[in-house]
Amino acid sequence: MKIGREETLRLRNERSNTMRSNIKKFYIYVVLVLIVLVFSLVKLGQVEMFGRGHFLSPDSLINLLRAAVPILTLSGAFTLLMISGYIDLSVGSAMSLSAVVFALMILNGFPFILALPITLVLGVAFGFLNGLLVMKLRITPVIATLVTLNLFKGIALLIVPHGLSAIKGSAALPMPAWINDYARTEVVLGLPWAFFVAVLIIAVLIIIQKRTILGKYAAAIGGNRTAAELSGINAVKWVWLLYIIVGLFAACAGMARASYMSLGDPLSGDGMELDCIIAVLLGGTAFSGGEGSVAKTIIGALIIMCVTTGLMTVIPAFWQVMAKGSVLIAAVVLNHLLVREKVKA
Amino acid sequence: MIGGRMSNESFITLFMIGVLVVLFGVSCAIVPRFYLPQNMINLLTNNWYIIMLGIGVTFLLITGNFDMSVGGVIAMTGVLSVWFCQDATASQNALAVGLGLPYGVAIALALLCAMGIGAINAFFIARLKVPSIIITLGTMMIARGVAQIVAQGAQRNTSLPDVFGVLGGLAIPGMSVKLSVLVMAVLIVAAFVFEKKTVAGRRTYLIGANSVAARLSGVNVRRHLTSLFIISSLLAGITGILLSSEFKAGGSSRAMGYEFDALVISLLGGVSIAGGFGSVLGMFVGAVILSVVTSAATGLLLSPDWQFTLKGIVTFLAILAQRFALDKRKG
Repeated sequence: MKIGREETLRLRNERSNTMRSNIKKFYIYVVLVLIVLVFSLVKLGQVEMFGRGHFLSPDSLINLLRAAVPILTLSGAFTLLMISGYIDLSVGSAMSLSAVVFALMILNGFPFILALPITLVLGVAFGFLNGLLVMKLRITPVIATLVTLNLFKGIALLIVPHGLSAIKGSAALPMPAWINDYARTEVVLGLPWAFFVAVLIIAVLIIIQKRTILGKYAAAIGGNRTAAELSGINAVKWVWLLYIIVGLFAACAGMARASYMSLGDPLSGDGMELDCIIAVLLGGTAFSGGEGSVAKTIIGALIIMCVTTGLMTVIPAFWQVMAKGSVLIAAVVLNHLLVREKVKA
Repeated sequence: MIGGRMSNESFITLFMIGVLVVLFGVSCAIVPRFYLPQNMINLLTNNWYIIMLGIGVTFLLITGNFDMSVGGVIAMTGVLSVWFCQDATASQNALAVGLGLPYGVAIALALLCAMGIGAINAFFIARLKVPSIIITLGTMMIARGVAQIVAQGAQRNTSLPDVFGVLGGLAIPGMSVKLSVLVMAVLIVAAFVFEKKTVAGRRTYLIGANSVAARLSGVNVRRHLTSLFIISSLLAGITGILLSSEFKAGGSSRAMGYEFDALVISLLGGVSIAGGFGSVLGMFVGAVILSVVTSAATGLLLSPDWQFTLKGIVTFLAILAQRFALDKRKG
């Protein structure tokens, strides 16, 4: 009799556990669908479904995906870094600085084939610096990358000539029109090269996470760094590599942003670190590292883009900051409810 | 060695005072008119708002937590205090219509809102154990978001009662020292006494050094952190009130980046995020170092665009120098 009751309890527990893990597995897709649904219904009285001006019209979707290129490029690598228990708050500034340098080079007549590798090398240098400060000099990640955030931003502001707000073409020295070729000009399905590059990067990162040693080591280091080191993983080397990858893709994102806006704005990447954090948290990566998924972060990134683009059609621009802050808090709460509970059980 | 050896904290503070003296000497030598008494007073007082924020941020850093929401809270309390006491009579301009409350009530309500932000921080960090950096970046956006919504992305500065500008405009007769600077001085002294002489002050260090040990030895860690977060937001709120009164306006983009400056002066003063280490006095020294460096740079005709880069480099040098000095001392 007593055993029977324990048995039912155990079964019930198991059922609620599988339910919880199912919720955890799929909730993010539901959230994305819900948000898309809300924004496609909200103005249905004025425009017809999929029509011009509707949230789901082809134009609007293409615009959304084009604007999403930087965060799609960046957030996958950011996830791997957060899985390993580290953070890089300087990504936004690294992005701005690369955008400024890239635009400056194009403006001064560099061909794309030369500007591209220089920008990417710059990104690697950003990541290398962050890794050096955090892993070699052992400065707390948040502090080290907050300071490099301001350092990169400061350098970007210094590069832009006094009295100008960005690196842009003038009558005397026009910006070459082909700067748009990378992230604005349509290639296939109305989408630019940069979008397909971002998709490729995401695919590679998903494979890296699932199939390579780097993904496994990142999770091991995030789960318990000491244990990982005792079992022979060189945490300094691997996390340093992750910082470099994040820096590289930050430069890539900055290049896309510069190409999209055809100018180098030293503040264009501001807040990107928050967008990445929101995407990662929505994707269910644990705060303390150890588990997470690149693929789900991408869904999280799409959620943010839908929310910001969708809200712009509904409420005035000065509500944006509040909206994003609320999304961040909501992501934290969701993450807490779904990830934390499981750890306790 | 009992009693003969000073603590590491005093050592670092002394070390940074030494750095300050050297920097000041160098600046006097190379920057024209740097040694004038008026400039020295400016160096000590110009950064009063950052130092006020630094008090809360320092104590939180000692417990191992960040507070990045202070800049947003300044903007929010500034805008709210204006909105609460603007005339309620209808006007063409939506930004000129407020709630028409008396000034005292307006201040009290604005400060309550500031403490509300602190309470949100505390709830997530002390109770749900969410990393402080993430949640305070979120409340930073929420607080600034409130400011932007109320001020519609601009600023509110019309139809204010005359009493609004009094607090920020008051100064000691015959001197250029403002009331705000006096408030800062009083708060620094109070924080110093709290840190060195009270049980709660010492518990802050215990929590930072080992929060599990603190809990096991009977310290209510949760309540302690909660009060520290609320105090930090309250200090930011007071700063916001004083600043908005000084400018007779509540702007939604006020105090951008102040949270970083507050963090920088704490770090310059030797506070360690590893926890349990640092002092308010050190933070004050750090603030003066920062203002010596920035004003020397301005005196050397560097463009103000240099400030971000300069702050970053100075901070890294300070962190590494402090670690080096401590290692030398141990070895």
